[in-house]
Amino acid sequence: MKTDRPTLESIVNSASTVYSLPLIHDRLTQAINNPRASISDITLIISEDQGLCFRILKLANSPMFGYHKNIDTITKAATIIGTQQLRDLSLAISVIGIFKDIPEDIITMTSFWKHSISCGIVARILASYRREPNVERFFVAGILHDIGQLILCTSIPLILRNLLKQSKESDRMLYEVQSSELGFDHAEVGGELLKKWKIPLLISEPVSCHHDPLHATIYPQDTALLHVSDLIAHALQAGSSGENCLPPLNTEAWEILNISESSIAGIVQQADTQIEQTMDSIFGGAH
Amino acid sequence: MGLVQIDNLAEGMLLAADTHDRNGRLLLTQGTELTNRHIRMFMTWGILKVDIQDYDEPLSETSDSDEIAPELLQKAEEELKLLFRKNDLSYPAMAELFQHCLIRKARNENR
Repeated sequence: MKTDRPTLESIVNSASTVYSLPLIHDRLTQAINNPRASISDITLIISEDQGLCFRILKLANSPMFGYHKNIDTITKAATIIGTQQLRDLSLAISVIGIFKDIPEDIITMTSFWKHSISCGIVARILASYRREPNVERFFVAGILHDIGQLILCTSIPLILRNLLKQSKESDRMLYEVQSSELGFDHAEVGGELLKKWKIPLLISEPVSCHHDPLHATIYPQDTALLHVSDLIAHALQAGSSGENCLPPLNTEAWEILNISESSIAGIVQQADTQIEQTMDSIFGGAH
Repeated sequence: MGLVQIDNLAEGMLLAADTHDRNGRLLLTQGTELTNRHIRMFMTWGILKVDIQDYDEPLSETSDSDEIAPELLQKAEEELKLLFRKNDLSYPAMAELFQHCLIRKARNENR
């Protein structure tokens, strides 16, 4: 059995042939990096995808932004929210679309995304407490933090099921069981896939290290933020990631964030008011 | 006049000072009469306390957990202890998170 143990590389390689980012993301990035491109160039690219347009507008008008339902065009959204932020939001929406049709026998998709979106929302709120200039990138990192789990679901379903069982029986965290049995955990799988997709390290490193935040070398603060967000999202009990309890807090990561304990009440309350409507913005129908 | 917790705000109260969000953006100016929409907006923006004109503290200080039946609170506490079992609840940040999750959970089940 040992010989056909899957490697991180083989899993990520085959996943990257099956799941690819929509072209629109590359085109958006190019347009944003091109100093000659205007807002209208960028909105034109987004406008080509009706579904994406609709969801971005719905998000922009949700309580997460608090603009009170006045953003009715992509141009307005680009001006008010910002083009980079719009690119990040569209990335989040696209990735959810890519993994829409995964068999649900191991993980229920709605509850998986609910946990991921809650984590994104908490990350976004924590980032605003830290006065980060672009909070949407934390929203995306939160939404993407567990995609490795989905890849494991499709590439090694039998092994993953077995690991889930082991984690329950021995009361160890699933990511620990993954690390000790496979040599890597879902966080690393997700991070590697993002790298393959050429998503900046700013997002892929925090995803890779969200269970081992002190291991991050380039973006330790972003990683610490994602680690804490994942934990708070678990505490909110919105959706499920496959773990059956809160991952242990890395206290050093909490201290890196430099957020006062008294803010926690506000963070929990704010997240609570945003989760349901953000779910609806991303998954809800057109009517 | 005094800083009033968001939970204790009511329609018709007057702002004693300009209210800004965390980034310093002006949300409402001094003298604005609060509506429910404003209060919702404070929640969305993460405003925890605002300065209100002529505000008298409610006489009976009710603590967060007073209105919740003790057995509900106890049940919620047991479930949450299980959920938090890998964490050290004596660490201040975790203690705080646990406390808020507890009240939130018991309240949700109260409904």
